[in-house]
Amino acid sequence: MIHFENVGMRYGMGSEVLKDISFNLKPGSLHFLTGPSGAGKTSLLKLMYLAHRPSRGKITMFREDVGAATRSELPRFRRRIGTVFQDFRLLDHLTAVENVALPLWIAGGKGAEIEEHVEELLTWVGLEGRMKARPPTLSGGEKQRVAIARAVIKRPDLLLADEPTGNVDPVIARRIMHLFLELNKLGTTTVIATHDMEVVNRVTADRMHLSDGQLQLFGAGETVPQEEEFEPAEFGSRLLDQNEFGPRRYVADENDREDGV
Amino acid sequence: MTQAVHFLPDEKSHEATRLLPYVMAVMVYLSALALMGSMMLHKGFGEWTETLSNRLTVQITTADPDIRYAQLQEVTKLLRNTPGIEYVRVLNDIEIEKLLEPWLGEGNVTSDLPVPDILDVTVSRSMTVNLDALRGMLSKVSENIHLDDHQQWLGRFLRLMDTVEYTALGILLLVVMATICMVIFGTKAGMAENRETIAVMHHLGAKDGMIARAFQDRFMKYGLKGGIIGLLLAFLTLTSLIFLSRDLASDLVKVPDFPIVQVAILLIIPFFAALIAMMTARMTVLRNLGRMV
Ligand SMILES: Nc1ncnc2c1ncn2[C@@H]1O[C@H](COP(=O)(O)OP(=O)(O)OP(=O)(O)O)[C@@H](O)[C@H]1O
Ligand SMILES: [Mg+2]
Repeated sequence: MIHFENVGMRYGMGSEVLKDISFNLKPGSLHFLTGPSGAGKTSLLKLMYLAHRPSRGKITMFREDVGAATRSELPRFRRRIGTVFQDFRLLDHLTAVENVALPLWIAGGKGAEIEEHVEELLTWVGLEGRMKARPPTLSGGEKQRVAIARAVIKRPDLLLADEPTGNVDPVIARRIMHLFLELNKLGTTTVIATHDMEVVNRVTADRMHLSDGQLQLFGAGETVPQEEEFEPAEFGSRLLDQNEFGPRRYVADENDREDGV
Repeated sequence: MTQAVHFLPDEKSHEATRLLPYVMAVMVYLSALALMGSMMLHKGFGEWTETLSNRLTVQITTADPDIRYAQLQEVTKLLRNTPGIEYVRVLNDIEIEKLLEPWLGEGNVTSDLPVPDILDVTVSRSMTVNLDALRGMLSKVSENIHLDDHQQWLGRFLRLMDTVEYTALGILLLVVMATICMVIFGTKAGMAENRETIAVMHHLGAKDGMIARAFQDRFMKYGLKGGIIGLLLAFLTLTSLIFLSRDLASDLVKVPDFPIVQVAILLIIPFFAALIAMMTARMTVLRNLGRMV
Protein backbone atom coordinates (compact mmCIF):
# COMPACT_ATOMS: atom_id res chain seq x y z
CA MET A 1 0.00 0.00 0.00
CA ILE A 2 2.63 2.48 1.08
CA HIS A 3 6.28 1.78 0.74
CA PHE A 4 9.09 4.11 1.82
CA GLU A 5 12.64 3.32 0.87
CA ASN A 6 15.48 5.31 2.44
CA VAL A 7 13.43 8.47 2.31
CA GLY A 8 14.86 11.73 3.51
CA MET A 9 13.09 15.07 3.76
CA ARG A 10 14.12 18.62 4.37
CA TYR A 11 12.43 21.99 4.32
CA GLY A 12 14.05 24.24 1.81
CA MET A 13 17.79 24.28 2.34
CA GLY A 14 17.58 23.21 5.99
CA SER A 15 18.94 20.01 7.44
CA GLU A 16 16.97 16.78 7.08
CA VAL A 17 14.02 16.54 9.42
CA LEU A 18 13.45 12.93 8.33
CA LYS A 19 16.40 10.64 7.76
CA ASP A 20 16.51 7.31 6.03
CA ILE A 21 12.91 6.35 6.57
CA SER A 22 11.98 2.87 5.35
CA PHE A 23 8.76 1.05 6.01
CA ASN A 24 5.93 -0.78 4.39
CA LEU A 25 2.26 -0.39 5.28
CA LYS A 26 0.01 -3.27 4.32
CA PRO A 27 -3.43 -2.54 2.93
CA GLY A 28 -5.97 -2.28 5.70
CA SER A 29 -3.41 -1.94 8.46
CA LEU A 30 -3.68 0.46 11.39
CA HIS A 31 -0.75 2.40 12.75
CA PHE A 32 -0.09 4.93 15.42
CA LEU A 33 2.62 7.41 14.67
CA THR A 34 4.15 8.67 17.88
CA GLY A 35 7.13 10.65 18.95
CA PRO A 36 7.96 13.83 20.79
CA SER A 37 6.96 17.20 19.49
CA GLY A 38 9.16 18.25 16.62
CA ALA A 39 10.18 14.67 15.88
CA GLY A 40 8.78 14.89 12.38
CA LYS A 41 5.34 13.25 12.57
CA THR A 42 3.60 15.95 10.59
CA SER A 43 6.47 15.98 8.13
CA LEU A 44 6.16 12.24 7.53
CA LEU A 45 2.42 12.61 6.98
CA LYS A 46 3.07 15.47 4.54
CA LEU A 47 5.10 13.07 2.42
CA MET A 48 2.22 10.62 2.52
CA TYR A 49 -0.47 13.13 1.62
CA LEU A 50 1.76 14.40 -1.15
CA ALA A 51 2.14 17.92 0.10
CA HIS A 52 5.89 17.65 0.03
CA ARG A 53 8.39 15.81 -2.10
CA PRO A 54 11.18 13.80 -0.47
CA SER A 55 14.73 15.06 -0.81
CA ARG A 56 15.87 11.50 -1.42
CA GLY A 57 14.62 7.94 -1.46
CA LYS A 58 11.61 6.39 -3.11
CA ILE A 59 7.96 6.47 -2.14
CA THR A 60 5.52 4.00 -3.60
CA MET A 61 1.80 4.46 -2.97
CA PHE A 62 -1.06 2.45 -4.39
CA ARG A 63 1.62 0.50 -6.26
CA GLU A 64 2.81 3.57 -8.12
CA ASP A 65 5.98 5.56 -7.75
CA VAL A 66 4.66 8.90 -6.57
CA GLY A 67 8.07 10.51 -6.96
CA ALA A 68 7.68 10.12 -10.70
CA ALA A 69 4.10 11.41 -10.72
CA THR A 70 3.56 14.63 -12.61
CA ARG A 71 1.59 17.49 -11.23
CA SER A 72 -1.50 16.55 -13.16
CA GLU A 73 -1.43 13.00 -11.77
CA LEU A 74 -1.42 14.06 -8.13
CA PRO A 75 -5.18 14.72 -7.81
CA ARG A 76 -5.83 11.08 -8.66
CA PHE A 77 -3.71 9.98 -5.68
CA ARG A 78 -5.01 12.65 -3.37
CA ARG A 79 -8.61 11.64 -3.96
CA ARG A 80 -7.85 8.26 -2.46
CA ILE A 81 -6.40 9.83 0.67
CA GLY A 82 -8.33 11.36 3.56
CA THR A 83 -6.32 13.72 5.71
CA VAL A 84 -7.02 15.27 9.10
CA PHE A 85 -4.58 18.15 9.28
CA GLN A 86 -3.09 19.11 12.62
CA ASP A 87 -4.31 22.67 12.00
CA PHE A 88 -7.59 21.43 10.40
CA ARG A 89 -7.35 23.65 7.33
CA LEU A 90 -11.07 24.18 6.95
CA LEU A 91 -12.37 26.80 4.57
CA ASP A 92 -13.61 29.60 6.79
CA HIS A 93 -16.20 30.95 4.38
CA LEU A 94 -17.97 27.63 3.94
CA THR A 95 -20.38 26.06 6.42
CA ALA A 96 -19.54 22.85 8.26
CA VAL A 97 -21.72 20.91 5.85
CA GLU A 98 -20.07 22.49 2.81
CA ASN A 99 -16.60 21.85 4.19
CA VAL A 100 -17.36 18.20 4.66
CA ALA A 101 -19.06 17.91 1.27
CA LEU A 102 -16.06 19.40 -0.49
CA PRO A 103 -14.21 16.14 -1.25
CA LEU A 104 -17.40 14.73 -2.76
CA TRP A 105 -17.96 17.81 -4.91
CA ILE A 106 -14.37 17.75 -6.06
CA ALA A 107 -14.79 14.14 -7.10
CA GLY A 108 -17.73 15.23 -9.24
CA GLY A 109 -20.61 14.37 -6.92
CA LYS A 110 -23.71 16.51 -6.75
CA GLY A 111 -27.24 16.46 -5.55
CA ALA A 112 -29.12 16.28 -2.32
CA GLU A 113 -27.83 12.86 -1.26
CA ILE A 114 -24.47 14.39 -0.56
CA GLU A 115 -25.92 16.78 1.94
CA GLU A 116 -27.90 14.04 3.62
CA HIS A 117 -24.84 11.87 3.86
CA VAL A 118 -22.76 14.72 5.24
CA GLU A 119 -25.36 15.66 7.84
CA GLU A 120 -25.53 12.08 8.99
CA LEU A 121 -21.80 11.98 9.54
CA LEU A 122 -21.72 15.35 11.29
CA THR A 123 -24.48 14.16 13.58
CA TRP A 124 -22.41 11.11 14.33
CA VAL A 125 -19.49 13.21 15.51
CA GLY A 126 -21.83 15.26 17.67
CA LEU A 127 -22.25 18.36 15.54
CA GLU A 128 -25.97 18.10 14.75
CA GLY A 129 -26.58 21.63 16.01
CA ARG A 130 -23.75 23.22 14.10
CA MET A 131 -24.34 22.15 10.52
CA LYS A 132 -24.59 25.65 9.08
CA ALA A 133 -21.90 27.16 11.30
CA ARG A 134 -18.73 28.46 9.74
CA PRO A 135 -15.36 27.41 11.16
CA PRO A 136 -14.51 30.76 12.78
CA THR A 137 -17.54 30.34 15.02
CA LEU A 138 -16.65 26.78 16.01
CA SER A 139 -14.61 25.72 19.02
CA GLY A 140 -11.31 23.96 18.50
CA GLY A 141 -12.85 20.58 19.19
CA GLU A 142 -15.77 21.27 16.86
CA LYS A 143 -13.44 22.29 14.09
CA GLN A 144 -11.47 19.14 14.63
CA ARG A 145 -14.59 17.04 14.21
CA VAL A 146 -15.51 18.84 11.00
CA ALA A 147 -11.98 18.16 9.75
CA ILE A 148 -12.34 14.50 10.63
CA ALA A 149 -15.70 14.24 8.94
CA ARG A 150 -14.20 15.79 5.80
CA ALA A 151 -11.35 13.28 5.87
CA VAL A 152 -13.56 10.22 6.16
CA ILE A 153 -16.62 11.26 4.12
CA LYS A 154 -15.34 9.61 0.96
CA ARG A 155 -14.26 6.45 2.76
CA PRO A 156 -10.68 6.86 1.54
CA ASP A 157 -8.24 4.06 0.85
CA LEU A 158 -5.74 5.75 3.09
CA LEU A 159 -6.58 7.82 6.14
CA LEU A 160 -3.93 10.07 7.64
CA ALA A 161 -4.85 11.79 10.88
CA ASP A 162 -2.56 14.28 12.57
CA GLU A 163 -3.47 14.61 16.25
CA PRO A 164 -7.16 13.93 15.62
CA THR A 165 -8.07 13.86 19.30
CA GLY A 166 -5.91 16.73 20.44
CA ASN A 167 -8.74 19.15 21.14
CA VAL A 168 -11.65 17.00 22.25
CA ASP A 169 -12.81 15.52 25.52
CA PRO A 170 -12.27 11.79 26.18
CA VAL A 171 -15.83 10.85 25.25
CA ILE A 172 -15.58 12.45 21.81
CA ALA A 173 -12.05 11.11 21.46
CA ARG A 174 -13.38 7.58 21.88
CA ARG A 175 -16.12 8.23 19.39
CA ILE A 176 -13.60 9.45 16.86
CA MET A 177 -11.33 6.49 17.45
CA HIS A 178 -14.33 4.22 17.03
CA LEU A 179 -15.06 5.87 13.71
CA PHE A 180 -11.49 5.34 12.57
CA LEU A 181 -11.53 1.71 13.66
CA GLU A 182 -14.79 1.08 11.83
CA LEU A 183 -13.36 2.61 8.70
CA ASN A 184 -10.19 0.57 9.15
CA LYS A 185 -12.28 -2.59 9.41
CA LEU A 186 -13.82 -1.70 6.06
CA GLY A 187 -10.33 -1.69 4.59
CA THR A 188 -9.00 1.81 4.97
CA THR A 189 -5.30 1.84 5.73
CA THR A 190 -4.96 4.20 8.67
CA VAL A 191 -2.11 6.18 10.17
CA ILE A 192 -2.82 8.25 13.25
CA ALA A 193 -0.20 10.60 14.61
CA THR A 194 -0.84 11.28 18.24
CA HIS A 195 0.54 12.31 21.57
CA ASP A 196 -2.50 10.91 23.30
CA MET A 197 -1.11 7.89 25.12
CA GLU A 198 -4.53 7.01 26.43
CA VAL A 199 -5.73 6.47 22.90
CA VAL A 200 -2.58 4.59 21.93
CA ASN A 201 -2.81 2.30 24.88
CA ARG A 202 -6.47 1.56 24.36
CA VAL A 203 -6.12 0.24 20.86
CA THR A 204 -4.08 -2.64 19.52
CA ALA A 205 -2.18 -1.31 16.58
CA ASP A 206 1.28 -1.19 15.12
CA ARG A 207 3.43 1.67 16.28
CA MET A 208 5.64 3.89 14.19
CA HIS A 209 7.83 5.80 16.54
CA LEU A 210 9.74 8.84 15.40
CA SER A 211 12.44 10.52 17.35
CA ASP A 212 14.80 13.04 15.95
CA GLY A 213 13.87 12.21 12.37
CA GLN A 214 14.51 8.48 12.74
CA LEU A 215 11.75 5.90 12.56
CA GLN A 216 11.37 2.75 14.62
CA LEU A 217 8.63 0.21 14.04
CA PHE A 218 6.91 -1.90 16.68
CA GLY A 219 4.35 -4.65 16.32
CA ALA A 220 0.99 -4.48 18.04
CA GLY A 221 2.10 -6.48 21.04
CA GLU A 222 5.50 -4.96 21.57
CA THR A 223 6.14 -2.38 24.22
CA VAL A 224 7.67 0.80 23.02
CA PRO A 225 10.59 1.85 25.17
CA GLN A 226 9.50 4.97 27.02
CA GLU A 227 11.70 7.90 26.46
CA GLU A 228 11.63 11.16 28.27
CA GLU A 229 8.37 12.16 26.67
CA PHE A 230 7.07 15.35 28.11
CA GLU A 231 3.35 15.75 27.85
CA PRO A 232 2.31 19.10 29.20
CA ALA A 233 -1.37 18.30 29.01
CA GLU A 234 -0.96 15.05 30.89
CA PHE A 235 1.38 16.71 33.30
CA GLY A 236 -1.05 19.45 34.17
CA SER A 237 -4.17 17.36 34.43
CA ARG A 238 -2.53 14.64 36.53
CA LEU A 239 -1.10 17.26 38.78
CA LEU A 240 -4.52 18.72 39.37
CA ASP A 241 -6.38 15.42 39.49
CA GLN A 242 -4.21 13.91 42.10
CA ASN A 243 -3.32 16.99 44.03
CA GLU A 244 0.24 15.97 43.93
CA PHE A 245 3.17 18.28 43.99
CA GLY A 246 5.48 16.27 41.86
CA PRO A 247 4.89 15.06 38.32
CA ARG A 248 4.07 11.41 37.92
CA ARG A 249 4.79 9.71 34.69
CA TYR A 250 1.79 8.17 33.13
CA VAL A 251 2.57 4.53 32.56
CA ALA A 252 0.38 2.40 30.44
CA ASP A 253 -1.20 -0.47 32.29
CA GLU A 254 -1.14 -3.56 30.15
CA ASN A 255 -4.47 -4.78 31.65
CA ASP A 256 -6.15 -1.51 30.92
CA ARG A 257 -5.95 -2.04 27.18
CA GLU A 258 -8.99 -2.70 25.13
CA ASP A 259 -9.27 -3.62 21.58
CA GLY A 260 -12.22 -1.47 20.82
CA VAL A 261 -13.22 1.72 22.43
CA MET B 1 -15.61 21.27 -19.19
CA THR B 2 -14.59 20.96 -15.56
CA GLN B 3 -17.38 20.89 -13.03
CA ALA B 4 -17.90 24.15 -11.17
CA VAL B 5 -17.38 23.92 -7.42
CA HIS B 6 -18.07 27.15 -5.59
CA PHE B 7 -15.26 27.10 -3.12
CA LEU B 8 -14.19 30.74 -3.31
CA PRO B 9 -15.50 33.26 -0.80
CA ASP B 10 -18.53 35.32 -1.75
CA GLU B 11 -17.84 38.02 -4.32
CA LYS B 12 -19.01 40.70 -1.92
CA SER B 13 -16.26 39.84 0.52
CA HIS B 14 -13.72 39.77 -2.24
CA GLU B 15 -11.69 42.81 -1.35
CA ALA B 16 -9.03 42.59 -4.02
CA THR B 17 -11.27 42.33 -7.04
CA ARG B 18 -14.60 43.84 -6.05
CA LEU B 19 -13.83 47.05 -7.92
CA LEU B 20 -12.93 45.22 -11.07
CA PRO B 21 -16.42 45.39 -12.65
CA TYR B 22 -16.30 49.17 -12.45
CA VAL B 23 -12.92 49.39 -14.08
CA MET B 24 -14.24 46.98 -16.70
CA ALA B 25 -17.19 49.34 -17.16
CA VAL B 26 -14.83 52.23 -17.85
CA MET B 27 -12.88 50.14 -20.33
CA VAL B 28 -15.99 49.04 -22.15
CA TYR B 29 -17.29 52.61 -22.09
CA LEU B 30 -14.13 53.89 -23.75
CA SER B 31 -14.00 51.18 -26.36
CA ALA B 32 -17.71 51.47 -27.11
CA LEU B 33 -17.38 55.22 -27.63
CA ALA B 34 -14.35 54.74 -29.84
CA LEU B 35 -16.17 52.13 -31.88
CA MET B 36 -19.46 53.96 -32.07
CA GLY B 37 -17.77 57.21 -32.96
CA SER B 38 -15.84 55.66 -35.76
CA MET B 39 -18.80 53.72 -37.07
CA MET B 40 -21.05 56.74 -37.12
CA LEU B 41 -18.43 58.90 -38.77
CA HIS B 42 -17.80 56.15 -41.25
CA LYS B 43 -21.44 55.95 -42.16
CA GLY B 44 -21.99 59.72 -42.14
CA PHE B 45 -18.87 60.55 -44.11
CA GLY B 46 -19.54 57.67 -46.43
CA GLU B 47 -22.97 59.01 -47.34
CA TRP B 48 -21.67 62.49 -47.69
CA THR B 49 -18.70 61.68 -49.89
CA GLU B 50 -21.05 59.54 -51.92
CA THR B 51 -23.29 62.52 -52.63
CA LEU B 52 -20.31 64.72 -53.35
CA SER B 53 -18.49 62.35 -55.61
CA ASN B 54 -20.77 62.90 -58.59
CA ARG B 55 -21.24 66.59 -58.02
CA LEU B 56 -19.45 69.53 -59.51
CA THR B 57 -19.78 73.10 -58.46
CA VAL B 58 -19.30 75.98 -60.88
CA GLN B 59 -18.89 79.47 -59.50
CA ILE B 60 -19.10 82.66 -61.49
CA THR B 61 -17.54 85.51 -59.58
CA THR B 62 -17.76 88.27 -62.19
CA ALA B 63 -18.60 91.50 -60.35
CA ASP B 64 -20.88 93.14 -62.92
CA PRO B 65 -24.33 91.58 -62.52
CA ASP B 66 -25.29 91.94 -66.18
CA ILE B 67 -22.12 90.36 -67.54
CA ARG B 68 -22.40 87.72 -64.88
CA TYR B 69 -25.94 86.91 -66.00
CA ALA B 70 -24.84 86.54 -69.61
CA GLN B 71 -22.01 84.27 -68.57
CA LEU B 72 -24.39 82.23 -66.51
CA GLN B 73 -26.62 81.62 -69.51
CA GLU B 74 -23.63 80.61 -71.62
CA VAL B 75 -22.15 78.30 -69.02
CA THR B 76 -25.50 76.64 -68.39
CA LYS B 77 -25.90 75.92 -72.07
CA LEU B 78 -22.35 74.69 -72.36
CA LEU B 79 -22.73 72.36 -69.43
CA ARG B 80 -26.06 70.99 -70.64
CA ASN B 81 -24.44 70.09 -73.92
CA THR B 82 -21.49 68.34 -72.36
CA PRO B 83 -21.81 64.55 -72.56
CA GLY B 84 -21.88 62.88 -69.15
CA ILE B 85 -23.51 65.77 -67.38
CA GLU B 86 -26.97 64.83 -66.24
CA TYR B 87 -28.30 67.81 -64.51
CA VAL B 88 -27.48 71.47 -64.04
CA ARG B 89 -29.17 73.62 -61.50
CA VAL B 90 -28.62 77.24 -60.65
CA LEU B 91 -28.78 77.96 -56.96
CA ASN B 92 -31.23 80.73 -56.11
CA ASP B 93 -30.42 83.68 -53.87
CA ILE B 94 -31.94 82.19 -50.78
CA GLU B 95 -29.87 79.04 -51.09
CA ILE B 96 -26.69 81.04 -51.59
CA GLU B 97 -27.56 83.26 -48.66
CA LYS B 98 -27.95 80.15 -46.53
CA LEU B 99 -24.58 78.88 -47.57
CA LEU B 100 -22.97 82.15 -46.66
CA GLU B 101 -24.77 82.68 -43.38
CA PRO B 102 -22.49 80.43 -41.31
CA TRP B 103 -19.59 82.66 -42.31
CA LEU B 104 -21.19 86.06 -42.35
CA GLY B 105 -23.84 85.69 -39.73
CA GLU B 106 -27.60 85.79 -40.10
CA GLY B 107 -29.03 88.90 -41.73
CA ASN B 108 -25.63 90.16 -42.86
CA VAL B 109 -26.00 88.93 -46.40
CA THR B 110 -27.38 92.08 -47.94
CA SER B 111 -28.35 92.61 -51.53
CA ASP B 112 -25.48 94.99 -52.18
CA LEU B 113 -22.95 92.35 -51.20
CA PRO B 114 -21.27 90.92 -54.29
CA VAL B 115 -22.45 87.34 -54.33
CA PRO B 116 -21.32 84.84 -56.96
CA ASP B 117 -23.63 82.70 -59.00
CA ILE B 118 -23.36 79.04 -58.23
CA LEU B 119 -24.31 76.07 -60.37
CA ASP B 120 -24.84 72.66 -58.94
CA VAL B 121 -23.89 70.06 -61.53
CA THR B 122 -24.71 66.37 -61.33
CA VAL B 123 -22.48 64.06 -63.30
CA SER B 124 -23.58 60.70 -64.62
CA ARG B 125 -22.10 57.82 -62.69
CA SER B 126 -21.76 55.65 -65.74
CA MET B 127 -19.80 58.14 -67.86
CA THR B 128 -16.64 60.01 -67.08
CA VAL B 129 -16.51 63.66 -67.84
CA ASN B 130 -13.24 65.06 -69.11
CA LEU B 131 -12.79 67.65 -66.42
CA ASP B 132 -9.65 69.19 -67.91
CA ALA B 133 -11.41 69.83 -71.19
CA LEU B 134 -14.41 71.22 -69.39
CA ARG B 135 -12.21 73.49 -67.31
CA GLY B 136 -10.54 74.71 -70.50
CA MET B 137 -13.86 75.51 -72.14
CA LEU B 138 -15.16 77.35 -69.09
CA SER B 139 -12.04 79.47 -68.76
CA LYS B 140 -12.53 80.52 -72.35
CA VAL B 141 -15.88 82.03 -71.37
CA SER B 142 -14.35 83.99 -68.50
CA GLU B 143 -11.47 83.84 -66.07
CA ASN B 144 -13.94 84.37 -63.30
CA ILE B 145 -15.50 80.96 -63.74
CA HIS B 146 -14.24 78.30 -61.37
CA LEU B 147 -14.93 74.62 -61.55
CA ASP B 148 -14.66 72.69 -58.29
CA ASP B 149 -14.86 68.93 -58.46
CA HIS B 150 -14.33 68.63 -54.67
CA GLN B 151 -11.55 66.13 -55.25
CA GLN B 152 -9.00 67.99 -53.19
CA TRP B 153 -11.53 68.41 -50.50
CA LEU B 154 -12.67 64.83 -50.64
CA GLY B 155 -9.14 63.54 -50.59
CA ARG B 156 -8.40 65.43 -47.41
CA PHE B 157 -11.67 64.31 -46.04
CA LEU B 158 -11.00 60.67 -46.74
CA ARG B 159 -7.58 60.94 -45.15
CA LEU B 160 -9.12 62.48 -42.06
CA MET B 161 -11.68 59.73 -41.98
CA ASP B 162 -8.95 57.10 -42.16
CA THR B 163 -7.01 58.81 -39.39
CA VAL B 164 -10.08 58.93 -37.20
CA GLU B 165 -10.73 55.27 -37.80
CA TYR B 166 -7.16 54.18 -37.15
CA THR B 167 -7.14 56.23 -33.99
CA ALA B 168 -10.33 54.57 -32.84
CA LEU B 169 -8.81 51.19 -33.61
CA GLY B 170 -5.65 52.12 -31.71
CA ILE B 171 -7.68 53.22 -28.71
CA LEU B 172 -9.59 49.98 -28.86
CA LEU B 173 -6.39 47.96 -28.91
CA LEU B 174 -4.92 49.87 -26.00
CA VAL B 175 -8.09 49.44 -24.01
CA VAL B 176 -8.13 45.70 -24.67
CA MET B 177 -4.50 45.46 -23.59
CA ALA B 178 -5.15 47.47 -20.44
CA THR B 179 -8.13 45.24 -19.70
CA ILE B 180 -6.03 42.12 -20.03
CA CYS B 181 -3.36 43.54 -17.74
CA MET B 182 -5.99 44.47 -15.23
CA VAL B 183 -7.58 41.04 -15.24
CA ILE B 184 -4.15 39.42 -14.81
CA PHE B 185 -3.51 41.73 -11.90
CA GLY B 186 -6.91 41.00 -10.40
CA THR B 187 -6.56 37.26 -10.84
CA LYS B 188 -3.18 37.25 -9.17
CA ALA B 189 -4.52 39.30 -6.30
CA GLY B 190 -7.45 36.92 -5.99
CA MET B 191 -5.14 33.92 -5.99
CA ALA B 192 -2.90 35.45 -3.34
CA GLU B 193 -5.92 36.24 -1.24
CA ASN B 194 -7.19 32.68 -1.53
CA ARG B 195 -3.86 30.97 -1.35
CA GLU B 196 -4.76 28.74 1.57
CA THR B 197 -8.13 27.86 0.05
CA ILE B 198 -6.42 26.81 -3.17
CA ALA B 199 -3.90 24.72 -1.22
CA VAL B 200 -6.72 22.96 0.62
CA MET B 201 -8.54 22.32 -2.65
CA HIS B 202 -5.40 20.73 -4.02
CA HIS B 203 -5.03 18.51 -0.97
CA LEU B 204 -8.59 17.36 -1.39
CA GLY B 205 -7.76 16.32 -4.93
CA ALA B 206 -8.97 19.26 -7.00
CA LYS B 207 -7.38 19.58 -10.41
CA ASP B 208 -5.94 22.86 -11.64
CA GLY B 209 -8.78 23.10 -14.14
CA MET B 210 -11.33 23.16 -11.33
CA ILE B 211 -9.54 25.98 -9.57
CA ALA B 212 -9.17 27.88 -12.83
CA ARG B 213 -12.87 27.36 -13.44
CA ALA B 214 -13.82 29.12 -10.23
CA PHE B 215 -11.70 32.14 -11.12
CA GLN B 216 -12.70 32.27 -14.76
CA ASP B 217 -16.40 32.11 -13.86
CA ARG B 218 -15.94 34.94 -11.44
CA PHE B 219 -14.04 37.14 -13.85
CA MET B 220 -16.45 36.37 -16.64
CA LYS B 221 -19.22 37.70 -14.43
CA TYR B 222 -17.17 40.79 -13.66
CA GLY B 223 -16.57 41.34 -17.36
CA LEU B 224 -20.23 40.95 -18.24
CA LYS B 225 -21.40 43.18 -15.42
CA GLY B 226 -18.85 45.86 -16.20
CA GLY B 227 -19.56 45.48 -19.90
CA ILE B 228 -23.27 46.09 -19.55
CA ILE B 229 -22.77 49.12 -17.31
CA GLY B 230 -20.15 50.55 -19.66
CA LEU B 231 -22.25 50.04 -22.75
CA LEU B 232 -25.32 51.63 -21.19
CA LEU B 233 -23.24 54.66 -20.26
CA ALA B 234 -21.84 54.81 -23.77
CA PHE B 235 -25.34 54.74 -25.32
CA LEU B 236 -26.43 57.44 -22.94
CA THR B 237 -23.48 59.61 -23.84
CA LEU B 238 -23.97 59.12 -27.52
CA THR B 239 -27.69 59.78 -27.48
CA SER B 240 -27.22 63.03 -25.65
CA LEU B 241 -24.39 64.02 -27.98
CA ILE B 242 -26.58 63.45 -31.02
CA PHE B 243 -29.44 65.27 -29.36
CA LEU B 244 -27.26 68.28 -28.63
CA SER B 245 -25.61 68.36 -32.03
CA ARG B 246 -28.97 68.35 -33.83
CA ASP B 247 -29.49 71.91 -32.67
CA LEU B 248 -26.12 73.02 -33.97
CA ALA B 249 -26.34 71.30 -37.30
CA SER B 250 -26.32 73.45 -40.39
CA ASP B 251 -27.53 72.23 -43.73
CA LEU B 252 -23.97 72.04 -44.89
CA VAL B 253 -22.92 69.49 -42.31
CA LYS B 254 -25.47 66.83 -41.75
CA VAL B 255 -25.37 65.08 -38.38
CA PRO B 256 -25.15 61.38 -38.99
CA ASP B 257 -28.22 59.43 -37.98
CA PHE B 258 -28.09 56.90 -35.24
CA PRO B 259 -26.92 53.89 -37.20
CA ILE B 260 -29.16 51.29 -35.61
CA VAL B 261 -27.60 48.26 -37.27
CA GLN B 262 -24.02 49.20 -36.50
CA VAL B 263 -24.84 50.16 -32.97
CA ALA B 264 -26.57 46.83 -32.49
CA ILE B 265 -23.23 45.24 -33.23
CA LEU B 266 -21.92 47.00 -30.14
CA LEU B 267 -24.17 44.81 -28.04
CA ILE B 268 -21.58 42.10 -28.33
CA ILE B 269 -19.00 44.25 -26.52
CA PRO B 270 -20.02 43.11 -23.02
CA PHE B 271 -19.78 39.51 -24.15
CA PHE B 272 -16.43 40.20 -25.69
CA ALA B 273 -15.29 41.81 -22.43
CA ALA B 274 -16.56 38.78 -20.52
CA LEU B 275 -14.70 36.47 -22.88
CA ILE B 276 -11.44 38.39 -22.54
CA ALA B 277 -11.77 38.45 -18.76
CA MET B 278 -12.59 34.75 -18.64
CA MET B 279 -9.76 33.59 -20.89
CA THR B 280 -7.23 35.85 -19.22
CA ALA B 281 -8.21 34.68 -15.74
CA ARG B 282 -8.07 31.05 -16.80
CA MET B 283 -4.65 31.32 -18.36
CA THR B 284 -3.32 33.32 -15.43
CA VAL B 285 -4.51 30.74 -12.91
CA LEU B 286 -3.18 27.79 -14.86
CA ARG B 287 0.17 29.43 -15.42
CA ASN B 288 0.59 30.40 -11.80
CA LEU B 289 -0.62 27.08 -10.41
CA GLY B 290 1.88 25.32 -12.64
CA ARG B 291 4.59 27.10 -10.72
CA MET B 292 3.30 25.81 -7.39
CA VAL B 293 4.34 22.45 -5.98
N1 LIG C 1 7.43 24.45 7.12
C1 LIG C 1 8.57 24.18 7.80
N2 LIG C 1 9.69 24.79 7.47
C2 LIG C 1 10.84 24.53 8.13
N3 LIG C 1 10.93 23.66 9.12
C3 LIG C 1 9.82 23.02 9.50
C4 LIG C 1 8.58 23.24 8.87
N4 LIG C 1 7.64 22.47 9.44
C5 LIG C 1 8.27 21.79 10.40
N5 LIG C 1 9.58 22.10 10.44
C6 LIG C 1 10.58 21.53 11.36
O1 LIG C 1 10.64 20.13 11.11
C7 LIG C 1 10.74 19.40 12.31
C8 LIG C 1 9.63 18.39 12.38
O2 LIG C 1 8.41 19.09 12.47
P1 LIG C 1 7.02 18.34 12.48
O3 LIG C 1 5.96 19.36 12.37
O4 LIG C 1 7.04 17.27 11.48
O5 LIG C 1 7.01 17.72 13.95
P2 LIG C 1 5.86 16.93 14.70
O6 LIG C 1 6.40 15.64 15.10
O7 LIG C 1 4.62 16.90 13.87
O8 LIG C 1 5.63 17.85 15.96
P3 LIG C 1 4.29 18.10 16.80
O9 LIG C 1 4.07 16.88 17.63
O10 LIG C 1 4.61 19.28 17.64
O11 LIG C 1 3.19 18.34 15.84
C9 LIG C 1 10.72 20.42 13.42
O12 LIG C 1 12.06 20.63 13.84
C10 LIG C 1 10.18 21.67 12.80
O13 LIG C 1 10.77 22.81 13.37
MG1 LIG D 1 2.79 17.74 14.01
